[in-house]
Amino acid sequence: MIVAALALAGIFVALYLLLYKLGMIGALSCAVGSCEIVNTSKWATFLGLPVAGWGVGFYIGMFVLAMASTRDAYAESRTISALLLAVATTGLLFSGWLTYLELFEIHAICQWCVVSAIIVTVIFFVTVADYREKSRKEESESALAE
Amino acid sequence: MAGKKPNKRNVVRNASTRPTGFYYILAAIAVVGASILGYTLLRKPSGAVGTEITPGPAVASGPAQGYTMGKADAPVEIIEFGDFECPGCGYFAVVTEPDLRTRLVQTGLAKFTFMDFPLGMHKNTIPAHNAAACANDQGKFWEMHDRLFATQDQWNTQATDNPKPFFEKYAEELGLNKDVWLTCYNARKHEGRIMANVAEGERRMINTTPSFVVGSKLYVGALGYDALKAIVDSATKK
Repeated sequence: MIVAALALAGIFVALYLLLYKLGMIGALSCAVGSCEIVNTSKWATFLGLPVAGWGVGFYIGMFVLAMASTRDAYAESRTISALLLAVATTGLLFSGWLTYLELFEIHAICQWCVVSAIIVTVIFFVTVADYREKSRKEESESALAE
Repeated sequence: MAGKKPNKRNVVRNASTRPTGFYYILAAIAVVGASILGYTLLRKPSGAVGTEITPGPAVASGPAQGYTMGKADAPVEIIEFGDFECPGCGYFAVVTEPDLRTRLVQTGLAKFTFMDFPLGMHKNTIPAHNAAACANDQGKFWEMHDRLFATQDQWNTQATDNPKPFFEKYAEELGLNKDVWLTCYNARKHEGRIMANVAEGERRMINTTPSFVVGSKLYVGALGYDALKAIVDSATKK
């Protein structure tokens, strides 16, 4: 549930950055020390798509998975927890790489990218905790069955 | 159903996995997020809203001198403070400027002046401004201006540490006297003027590119043609 709520917030953060990148929010400009530098750098595009677009896709995927995991049928499924963890790990690694680029290549920090990085990090730790709990439950249930 | 034995695990799940509060939280996030995004999208673009500026005192940094196209007696002057390496300026030059030239400048409604405003974060921009200033000596500033913006991604900081060969190639392609241009470029002959233009921009409270000054108003960001036309119309009425 926490993951779903965070992912929903992440969708809006990434959407904001995407709309900015597409020039739909304000006018495109270059200024010192803000999102402009980051969002107009060559790293703002990944595999031909804006990085913010990948972010929107990631958060939508996380949200759908997290909502599915709250359904009764999957509430104790370790598979869906593992899937959530896998996607969250990918997001964390990608976000870590972007933060590295901001700090050491672009030399500018975009506050919305930082917000997104924090959301991804929290999502990661929550999914780790969830996966461990599900694994423990499954193991104790199978031990009881034996 | 009544005869069925209740499934203990399902009872626990129903109680723990979907409390009503969860949906309230999701709804609250959705409403807040959508409201902020909606507000940001629907409000007037910041570039079209002029800010009244009061220029500070002139500083002794040499004479500021932009590059002007259009009739000297045009009723309105649009001054752009631009950076050759800024993607926003490149966007403006490629997308809006052709319309600006044919529909506002050539029709005599306005004249257009480009003022150098190289930003410190772009390492190759001052050489680019020098390249354009040296092309101006041979009457081809706007040709070099257009070429620099059109090829920005090939010579910018991310693409190369040495932009000079690119500029030399453009000078050749534009039919400039290469030796004269190169002597000027190597000597950084016009860097004083470029820095004077920066000082002039700072005096007019500019810190972002592209920025446009029309009369006493400052407009920030890559304006579209419609926004520019509206600004020119409004300035003409005054």
